[in-house]
Amino acid sequence: MSNMLLEAKEVHTYYGASHILHGIDFNIREGEGIALMGRNGMGKSTLIKSMLGLVRPRHGRVLVRGDDYTKARTYHTAQQGIAYVPEGRGIFKSLTVRENLLMSARAGLDGQREWTFDRVMETFPRLGERINNGGWQLSGGEQQLLTIGRALMTNPDLLILDEATEGLAPLIAMEIWRIVKTIRQTGIATVIVDKNHAAVTSICDRAMILVKGEVVFNGTSDEIRAQPELIQKHLGV
Amino acid sequence: MRSKSIDIIHEEHRALAAMLSGMNALVKSIAAGRLEPDFELLGAMIEYIDKVPEVVHHPKENDYLFARLRARCSAAVAVIEQLEAEHAEGAARIAALRAALENYQRTGAAGLADFDATLKAYTEQEWHHMNTEERQVFPLAQKHLTAEDWAEIDAAFVANGNPWAGPAGDYAALFTKIVNIAPAPVGLGG
Repeated sequence: MSNMLLEAKEVHTYYGASHILHGIDFNIREGEGIALMGRNGMGKSTLIKSMLGLVRPRHGRVLVRGDDYTKARTYHTAQQGIAYVPEGRGIFKSLTVRENLLMSARAGLDGQREWTFDRVMETFPRLGERINNGGWQLSGGEQQLLTIGRALMTNPDLLILDEATEGLAPLIAMEIWRIVKTIRQTGIATVIVDKNHAAVTSICDRAMILVKGEVVFNGTSDEIRAQPELIQKHLGV
Repeated sequence: MRSKSIDIIHEEHRALAAMLSGMNALVKSIAAGRLEPDFELLGAMIEYIDKVPEVVHHPKENDYLFARLRARCSAAVAVIEQLEAEHAEGAARIAALRAALENYQRTGAAGLADFDATLKAYTEQEWHHMNTEERQVFPLAQKHLTAEDWAEIDAAFVANGNPWAGPAGDYAALFTKIVNIAPAPVGLGG
């Protein structure tokens, strides 16, 4: 497929003897949005890490734009236009906001720099107010904005957000969803892991639910939202 | 197929719930002495609650969703009338909240308890109202409205533009302003 960005084929991943992913198939095309959902410990983050080379699948393949990246180093995968906003944010706390952003600045695979420093400042005005503050001085919400801004500075074709609103107050979470919607409208493909199924399915075209390392639902967001019993069964608390 | 209008209503409910949650958290911190009152911020939050739910959100429900459901399902009439009556009281309730804030600003700490009580009453009523819509009215609508009904309702909601953003994006800008000035952990402000 010419417009396929990232694929996992029959991926099995283990942590030691624990079998976490049981033959997962996943794919995302250019411009698509996928909500990756499931309760804690079901394998969502492991699937992402397996595709990015942060965790090595024991079996199966990972393809980036059709090429085999199963054993690629993470930075090689990232250089293919894939940006990752990890759970826990992972900003560089000893660097300032400006340094955190500029260190990741690069053109996209097409050579374009649509996400410039100025555009990130425009999208996240709060970061502009904190531009010379160290990462360690930022609140959790500010760190999350910085991580998203840093990912955009790479001019990605695919943005992966893992628990982007975890631990944040409802107002900040709503603002992040608004920003992610804006990003989606620019055509950047997006994988979103989040517990707020209503928010993510309103942003994404497709949805996938994992239970104990297996896919139990893979369809459109409209389809999953039309099945509240399925949401309650697999995502309800 | 789930309707776009129900999705829009859900999203507006989430925004209102987030705003009320933020206001209550701020007032709790003020009452505990951890925060100085920021009347501009509290006023902006009330303005948001006034503009988005009271001016944009409720009229859409009344004019399209409730009107069509009333015609299709007699069992829904009582609850619709209750919700419409609550919508009609909305302006007075928001005025009471604004008056309580003005009184708090004028009288200082002595006005905090009254503002807190008025805010709690407003919040409780909104939660009750949204729960009634989501648990009683929406299921009835999903059951009784036809595909043609939904197409008309969705068209009206979509024609309304992006109500979340508001005309020319000013509601979204107001929301962003609030998030940026509300102190952490409620918002991003310092």
